[in-house]
Amino acid sequence: MTRINVRLGRITIGLLLLSAAPAALSAQWVTTYEQFYYPGSFNWQFRENYPSADRLFNGFDFGHAILYETLWTEPNAPAAELEQKWYDRLTKKILVNPPPVPLEEAAIEIAYAKLAPEAKQMFDWAHLLHRQIYDVWADERIPTDDKDAVIAKLIRYYKSRPDLAFSSKPKTMELMEGMPYSTAFRKNYPKFNGLIWAYHWLQVGLYEPLVTGKDKDERQTGIVAAVARFRQMIENPPTWMPRVMPMTPAIAPEFTKRYPEAAIIFDNLHSMHDVVSDILANLAVPRNRKRAEILLAARRYRDDTSYVMTEHAWREMASAMGVQNMGGPVMGVLEGFPTPTVARGAVMAGMDHSQHAAAAPQKPDEHAGHVMPADSTSPARDTSHAMHDSAGAKPDSGHAMHDMPHDMSADHMRDMMTLHMGLLEDPVIRRRIQSDTAMRRIMLDMIREMPPEHREHMEMMLREPAGIPIRKDGTTRATPTKTKATTSTKTKVAPTKAAPVDHSKHKP
Amino acid sequence: MAFRAFLIAVVGAVSLAHAAGAQTDYYNTDAGRPLTVEDAYATERYAFEWQIAPLRLERAPGGVYQWGFEPEFAYGILPRTHVEIGAPLAFVDAAGVRTSGLAGLDISLLHNLNVETTGIPALGVGVRVLAPVGGLAPDKAYPSFKGIATRTFTWARFHLNGEYTIGEAPAASAGALELSRWLGGIAVDKTYPLRSLLVGAEVNARQPIHEIDEVEWTVAVGLRKQISPQFNLDGGVGRRLTGGTQSWFATFGLAYAFGIPALMRVSE
Repeated sequence: MTRINVRLGRITIGLLLLSAAPAALSAQWVTTYEQFYYPGSFNWQFRENYPSADRLFNGFDFGHAILYETLWTEPNAPAAELEQKWYDRLTKKILVNPPPVPLEEAAIEIAYAKLAPEAKQMFDWAHLLHRQIYDVWADERIPTDDKDAVIAKLIRYYKSRPDLAFSSKPKTMELMEGMPYSTAFRKNYPKFNGLIWAYHWLQVGLYEPLVTGKDKDERQTGIVAAVARFRQMIENPPTWMPRVMPMTPAIAPEFTKRYPEAAIIFDNLHSMHDVVSDILANLAVPRNRKRAEILLAARRYRDDTSYVMTEHAWREMASAMGVQNMGGPVMGVLEGFPTPTVARGAVMAGMDHSQHAAAAPQKPDEHAGHVMPADSTSPARDTSHAMHDSAGAKPDSGHAMHDMPHDMSADHMRDMMTLHMGLLEDPVIRRRIQSDTAMRRIMLDMIREMPPEHREHMEMMLREPAGIPIRKDGTTRATPTKTKATTSTKTKVAPTKAAPVDHSKHKP
Repeated sequence: MAFRAFLIAVVGAVSLAHAAGAQTDYYNTDAGRPLTVEDAYATERYAFEWQIAPLRLERAPGGVYQWGFEPEFAYGILPRTHVEIGAPLAFVDAAGVRTSGLAGLDISLLHNLNVETTGIPALGVGVRVLAPVGGLAPDKAYPSFKGIATRTFTWARFHLNGEYTIGEAPAASAGALELSRWLGGIAVDKTYPLRSLLVGAEVNARQPIHEIDEVEWTVAVGLRKQISPQFNLDGGVGRRLTGGTQSWFATFGLAYAFGIPALMRVSE
């Protein structure tokens, strides 16, 4: 009897194990699959036209992948593993020289990809949509009016995979910050969390210059400025990094107005990235429960019923969170150009810069942008520090031209000189100028700016006693006569050269 | 001379690489690109993959050169399933005697059963038919069945392939090139993700369809490199260690993927 019982017991245990095996196997039996992106001539246009920004995204892929892999495979590693080792490698090497092609994340997050391949596929599918929307807006061959239709089709194609597509309904912050495991990642890894949020800031932010730029040049400038701003964010971490998750309505308002559904999808995507980080980072979630929690969160981000809010509430929430807490706006990060004080084509040759306070001895090349004709392609100013200056101090334009009283064409110069001569011819005016030290100084400054052939004459006129009238030919009369205002617009100057001055012939 | 021609063909194919536009994945290996042993994953759903220049040059003792050129089309016809059609062209140059021709029409179906998870490797099954088309083809169709397993570790990835062909062996004079009764092999590869580079090695054993022929053991190494989102290159070298023809070989491949919108389901 005992032998039979033992045998029965063994059989029972064996049957139990066998019945459990399929359950265990089915928990691990995953049949998700990859799908090709929607074809079109717009594909890879962002890479073609904005290669630096495009490559950065490849670097971002590495960042996400190594984060998940490290959190999953080294749960007890010190925070420095991510906060220092991987953070430094990412920001000092990989993002400085990012990979030229999109990465295969399964080759980086090897163990994590086996833990939750379904979640990985969700991210991959949404990242495809991300890229393709950049591509459509980067494709200058597609008329602006046609882009909306293309993007609408891409979104429909995206949603043809309900097993992967994020919901088009906004999700409340409860889903991201109200779970038992929430905020573990940002608390334990503030720098890396800030880096991920900076990624998200740029990923949604780059849409804004694309959709608002009037032409390709504006789009290029906007993209470059946004990337520069991103790099600023990761200086001195986590000081300038976003302090809350960047939300598309705040960072890219025009893009959101145009494509609210896409904006919602991307906010849900970025939110789920944070959720997965929290699940992996939170040691209170048992290791054998992490897959289940990730899949539960994934299901909630896909459905249209869990933790949803209205679109209006979503926009309001983004506004209330404050764009200044998300890294700031993407647009307008470059200061405007200074107001020039010389006309295009201004001539500098022959002018005496020695009296100008700002005119420190200049190296020849420092004039290069200012010599005539004025350089319309002068390099953009460095605003990298100006962005931190809340007073918005204008940079020094760096040239004495600001003190030049005449930024004008040759004709205008002639008119000005005629006017000055006319004034000085009048003994009353001359006396007034001579007796007023401020006016005299201003007049002398102006005279010094004049071409040498006029300067001498003007200086002589100013020196003449006020009682002595000066003839139009520059000579004076011995006895004063009634003053006579001259309104002649044409004057024969007593040039040192025979020919009238032609400024256009002055060479640097 | 043959090797020079091989290099010219390679350079020509690479120069073509910049003309087209699509995405190809270096990480998902395919039989013959460059190794015989492949992974358990199928081409992406809706993707067409055109293997533009799968070249193989083999040199046997005695100065016998054999060229292989097998353009193939694969299509992700269903989730985790692709159908593939190849037209293997062979050129044999043996001491001045040249033979060339189509060595059959190779039609295959590969289905990936599951995605690799923590507890279970990725598994795939395939069926293949070599149809009697061409001067160097066998005299009748030969179906084969294949099983594949892929297991990834953080330090390397392994693939196991086993294939069996049914049907009576053709007559010895039928010119059935490379027809096997069975084939088994194991490959290991290592990925350098930041370089989008995969380096692999394999050893496989193959019993030719004629039982009197001895089992051929072959070793090979190769690499796959994603050179742009549109293209990846592969290349390999190997040697048959045993068997009737102990030869060196080199392979080169270039693949281009594209999609056809009309075949893709879009939500309304």
